[in-house]
Amino acid sequence: MNNWAFALQKLLSGIPLLFGVSLVSFILMVYFGPDLTYELLGKNPTPEAIEEVRQSLGYDQPFWQRYLVYVKELVTFDFGVSMVKDRSVTDMLTSSIPVSLQLTLPGFIIGNLLAISLAIFAIQNRGNWLDKIIMTLSVIGMSISFLVIIIGCQLIFSSSYGLDWFPVRGWQVYDSNGHFNWLSYLDYVTVPTLALIFISLGYNTRFYRAVLAEEMSKDHIKTAHAYGHSKNKICYQFLLKNAMVPIITRIMFSIPMVIISGSLLLESYFGIPGVGLVTYDAIVAGDQPVLKAIVGLTAALFVLMLIFAELLYRVFDPRINSESA
Amino acid sequence: MSTQLLNTQSNHSLWQESWQKFKHDHWGFWGLAIVVAYFLTAIGVWLGLWGTDWSSISTDFNHPPSAKHWFGTNAIGQDVAERGIYATKVAFEVGVVVTVFSVFLGVFLGALAGLYENTWLDAILLWLMGVIDSIPFYLLVAAVAYAMSGHQLAMHLAMIMVFWTTTARIIRAEVIKLHRQEFVEAAHATGIGGWRTLFRHIIPNTNHLIIIQATLIFVSAIKTEVILSFLGLGIKEGISWGLMIAESTNDIQAGYFNNFLAASLLLFILVIGFNLFSDALQDALDPKINLSHEKN
Repeated sequence: MNNWAFALQKLLSGIPLLFGVSLVSFILMVYFGPDLTYELLGKNPTPEAIEEVRQSLGYDQPFWQRYLVYVKELVTFDFGVSMVKDRSVTDMLTSSIPVSLQLTLPGFIIGNLLAISLAIFAIQNRGNWLDKIIMTLSVIGMSISFLVIIIGCQLIFSSSYGLDWFPVRGWQVYDSNGHFNWLSYLDYVTVPTLALIFISLGYNTRFYRAVLAEEMSKDHIKTAHAYGHSKNKICYQFLLKNAMVPIITRIMFSIPMVIISGSLLLESYFGIPGVGLVTYDAIVAGDQPVLKAIVGLTAALFVLMLIFAELLYRVFDPRINSESA
Repeated sequence: MSTQLLNTQSNHSLWQESWQKFKHDHWGFWGLAIVVAYFLTAIGVWLGLWGTDWSSISTDFNHPPSAKHWFGTNAIGQDVAERGIYATKVAFEVGVVVTVFSVFLGVFLGALAGLYENTWLDAILLWLMGVIDSIPFYLLVAAVAYAMSGHQLAMHLAMIMVFWTTTARIIRAEVIKLHRQEFVEAAHATGIGGWRTLFRHIIPNTNHLIIIQATLIFVSAIKTEVILSFLGLGIKEGISWGLMIAESTNDIQAGYFNNFLAASLLLFILVIGFNLFSDALQDALDPKINLSHEKN
């Protein structure tokens, strides 16, 4: 099967999942969601006004018709106006997504690179005290709640009770002329980045070490050892290349999670106007148009990542075909 | 129940071997000790032996730790240690409810999918798992909480909805594997029906995997409760470590750390205890599943 046919087949196989995630978000957010009629009406509404609002919300339509309306909203990126803020949902998302990317990308990249390096270092010292220290620290890191890490980082680096080196909260990365300012970006991004690295480092190091340990026990690595190849050559040329598949999977799959779940806590705690804060505000206020957009879009994004990951596997391991995938 | 008992007896040597292995794992043993200590604390709260004073207010505002108040007091004079101890019960309640239901659901649906491998039932169950795993966890919880209009059990339900899938996938794979083995074929040959074979011969052979999954789910549930309660999606009545940390964000700005330190320390020790215990269990029961299965 050639690559294009493979890609097409994978795309088609994603359709049931896309249908599923949109259906679940629809059922939870729209169909069984709270009745919004009276949120949109003033005091003492007339029966006609109630009827009119119910019609505009589509409450008089059958299930599938309302589902199709939701799908249309997802496809056209048009979710109407937020119930709380006087802005369109699309506008809120397009202005907040870049902020979240600026916030989470450095921590995401550094965190993964650091974890892979630590895992390689641990596996090269397999069984001795360096390995044990790294793995013990990973378990400790895994056991500290994200929330505690975030609050702790803020306390240590940004508060007057700690080092007080960075601003406590906020996101003023543009100067008065509206230009992006690298220095103030560094000022605001450092503490959240440190928190993000600490949050993921324990889990990732453990995961990558387990992946490498499994690869290590395979026959071709033993053969390479027997041939007398150097430790480094084996590690980077044979071991890491084969371990790329699970590593890429992990990284790809964590992207939507990091952008939404990771930034949810970080942004709401540091007051950074990204998707996470938009989501948090929408959760607190019960802002249905925003929530249904974010839930539907992230789930769809995840499914697309899933498909993309399978295409990438094929690049790293051409043996993977439609049967084993 | 009796079938399970019979089976443990017949597998005695294997379980004993695992126990021997576990006993030599010092870290795992410490982990178990920590978990048991917390469990007894929770039982004590439940029986009303301690932690009964968690909501009473006094005039000792923001006192530092002392013999009377082990972790000091909070902004309205409540004893932080009492609250932390009471919250242990809440954490265990969440952990137990979520673990029992997710494991039950996971084993049942996983076995069903495995038993009817490659049929429409299997396809639908796999599709359902794929769908659930595709929705970011906190958003799904938020969506469930939203759909249930902030019902008491919305958080529990959401966690159960999410956590069963990993167990189901593992059990499904195991059932498919076991189904091809001779003792199952022998059971079939003697005329025992599919369901009876499943409960008498297949599921008991996945017990070790179920135990490991249960410890992993328990830890995830407790950690998640803290974050959800902090976000306002979790515990509504009583007090939990998450609510204490949420409360503490105000105290911290004023320079009082009692709430924050007490809640995060209690949480950290329990989670690390559980992680050590779970690691040792995995080593003792099944060396193969070492890749972390936690959901975040």
